[in-house]
Amino acid sequence: MTTVIAQSLLDVDFGLFAWILITFLLFMFILAKFAWKPILNALKERESSIKDSLESAEIAMEQAKKISADNEKAMKEAEQKAQEIRKQAVEEAEAIRQERIEKSRKEAEAMLEQARETIEQEKQKALVELRKEVADLAVQAASKIIESELDDKKNKKLVDEYIQDISKN
Amino acid sequence: MKQYFRIIILILTTIALSHQSLSASEEQQGVESNSSPVDLLSKVVDSNYLDFQPLGYIELPRFFYAEDGFHFFRSTTSALNSDRGFIDVAYLENEPETEGGVVVPATYELTRAEGEPQILFDFSITKHLVWFWFGVFIVFIIFIPLARKYQRGVGRTTEPNGVFQNIFETLVLFIRDNVARPNIPEDKYEKFMPYLLTAFFSILFMNLFGLLPWGVSSTADVTVTAALAVLTFFATQIFASKDHWKHIFWFPDVPVFIKIMMIPVEIVGQFTKPFALCIRLFANMTSGKILIFSLISAIFIIDIHFGAIAAYGSSIFWIGLTLFVYILKAFIAFIQAYVFVILSALFIGLATEEHDHHHGDEHAVEHAHS
Repeated sequence: MTTVIAQSLLDVDFGLFAWILITFLLFMFILAKFAWKPILNALKERESSIKDSLESAEIAMEQAKKISADNEKAMKEAEQKAQEIRKQAVEEAEAIRQERIEKSRKEAEAMLEQARETIEQEKQKALVELRKEVADLAVQAASKIIESELDDKKNKKLVDEYIQDISKN
Repeated sequence: MKQYFRIIILILTTIALSHQSLSASEEQQGVESNSSPVDLLSKVVDSNYLDFQPLGYIELPRFFYAEDGFHFFRSTTSALNSDRGFIDVAYLENEPETEGGVVVPATYELTRAEGEPQILFDFSITKHLVWFWFGVFIVFIIFIPLARKYQRGVGRTTEPNGVFQNIFETLVLFIRDNVARPNIPEDKYEKFMPYLLTAFFSILFMNLFGLLPWGVSSTADVTVTAALAVLTFFATQIFASKDHWKHIFWFPDVPVFIKIMMIPVEIVGQFTKPFALCIRLFANMTSGKILIFSLISAIFIIDIHFGAIAAYGSSIFWIGLTLFVYILKAFIAFIQAYVFVILSALFIGLATEEHDHHHGDEHAVEHAHS
């Protein structure tokens, strides 16, 4: 009895075997064409599109980061430049002020010098004139005084000596 | 599990002993009939009819090749009642049973009344074939609409939509990412995906059919699993790489006499792999089936041998155990389908991979040294 069970259980039926083999292959090709390929392709496509979009998002983020960094850098530079310009302007203004002061001081000095020179010249001129006048006056006076006693030559000599003495003093 | 059985047997023996006098008459009856009260075998082996008892049988078409050519009949009954001389083997000795003037089949095994000419190849559509087709049909009605859905763009450009799509997409991805990709080389796995997917889902549904009322799991037939294993065998041999053949006929990195010894070992190995595949699936599914039938039948056997009270008393244990085995079988349905495809993928992977090992060079160096 037991041997019978074992036999019929383990019997390989050729007809069924052939049927299964043929129909399985047939079904497999039909399913491959109408089910597995579209599904697997769709999954693959989806995966690649997700991957692509993730990658592009990463790239975009990277770019945004770069742009913001650039912006910050540019802003910093601009600020620095502005500060420089301000500093320069202040310096220039100071320089101009200094220059103007210097110039006016020099002008004033020059004017003063000129005035002094003029005064000196006038003084010399006046001295010469005065000396001449004094000499003339002295001569006139002396001639008037000593008109009678002394001749002109002697007088002149006397006066000259006298004036010399005066100028020495 | 063993302990469980021991306890149950112990309890049953006590019940049996206490009711011995009561069941004496029934026991005699059981001995008288002297045959199994439950026809377990007919539930397990293949047949030429679909069993929907108590609603009835559906006879399947007979198609076979005899020495005088092909014969095709709508059913076994029509074959028996045809004028081509076919007779049920049971009627060779006994008088044919008739129902309203029509001869009805007894064993469904046909033969010639005169013995000649013989039936050579039986291509009849059988119970297991029909349930195999049902299984594949389920795969069709699930995945072809699903594929349409993907083609429409749902799941292709957008996210998958709905429970149905999510469940089966997960399974498909599981086969691709956990079965095919880790085992088969990256550039070749796509070629084997249709086979692995078809095998997985058809085996899964065939296994699960065993859990349905009237359902039959075709994978509990060694012929069906053998056919599937043969497909894996062909897949490994047809798509095998050069390295695979090199490994069989000239095993690398070993001395020459071992190389020669390895040839038969490797060749046998090529056949044992799919053979194990076939037997594993068949044995797992058949054992579960027989176990469930046996546990249910135990109630009736106890009824015959120890009486109705013992049968009623113990039935709770048998039913509890049956439920346990049933749940186990539901797991096994998934596990065995998975095991079949992962081992197929492994064998295919082993056969198709090309390893750029430097066996040759190392070997030469070794030889030079020795």
